[in-house]
Amino acid sequence: SLVQGSKLEVPLWLAKGLHDSRRRVISVEPPKIYKEAWRMVFSADANVVDLHKMGPYYYGFGSQLLNFDNPENPEIAQTTFISRFRRIMDSSQNAYNEDTSALVARMDELERALFRAGQKGLNDFQSWEKGQASQITASSLVQNYGKRKFTDMDG
Amino acid sequence: LFQGDLGPFNPGLPVEVPVWLAINLKQRQKCRLIPPEWMDVEKLEEIREQERKEDTFTPMPSPYYMELTKLLLNYASDNIPKADEIRTLVKDTWDTRIAKLRLSADSFVRQQEAHAKLDNLTLMEINTTGTFLTQALDHMYKLRTNLQPGESAHSQDF
Repeated sequence: SLVQGSKLEVPLWLAKGLHDSRRRVISVEPPKIYKEAWRMVFSADANVVDLHKMGPYYYGFGSQLLNFDNPENPEIAQTTFISRFRRIMDSSQNAYNEDTSALVARMDELERALFRAGQKGLNDFQSWEKGQASQITASSLVQNYGKRKFTDMDG
Repeated sequence: LFQGDLGPFNPGLPVEVPVWLAINLKQRQKCRLIPPEWMDVEKLEEIREQERKEDTFTPMPSPYYMELTKLLLNYASDNIPKADEIRTLVKDTWDTRIAKLRLSADSFVRQQEAHAKLDNLTLMEINTTGTFLTQALDHMYKLRTNLQPGESAHSQDF
């Protein structure tokens, strides 16, 4: 049993389950990266922040936090995304195969998924340009079957 | 399957056929291809200039300008005057259009637009950046709707 007013770290799912703004069983304090001090860092230059280190699901988690009617709502997530968007787009559609791993390392999971989508668009275009789109290749499903000789077949 | 008639094929007289047939006949060395009217250095230079000048997308002479350029230059470059210049001009125009598309994407995100409309894009351009753009705008939408004051009972799934 808990003493009223004690502070605990709990997983998000538990906090959500316990939260009820009418009965005020608990109040939730967001992790520090969503708070005021970090906002200064983000607004200085959101591009340099290592979002992966902050918690790989920065945006997802931030959205979940909005459930708790906390006055310090992390709308910083939106501003952060807006500032970082350009760089994610440019690097994912970068045609020069430069090493983007350093940049991707600092992205959270959502940004990484976006990055991959951009890369795929670019790669598909390049493969079309090279004429690979019209080459017929064996399906990976059948590549492992041994080829049967015509004489071996029945009939 | 659909079918139809083509021709009549008279030696020396130009006839219109579907692109796939033209390419096929050309590969079999049975014909000479006549490039479309827009596949011409002066015309393409005009288009390239307009694309560079304007903020909006120039209507292209063909919704398949990339595909046609690639096909014709690959299989029938001997029938196309100044083929190398044509290739460069089309590529330059494409590059400008894609750059504009990215600028538009960035400004949609910055201004948190709820609707995006871009005229005169061809499918090729849309497919190259489309997945990325729609995913990014979806994300913005979620971030935006999450911020609206909501009942605490709502669970925002990400």
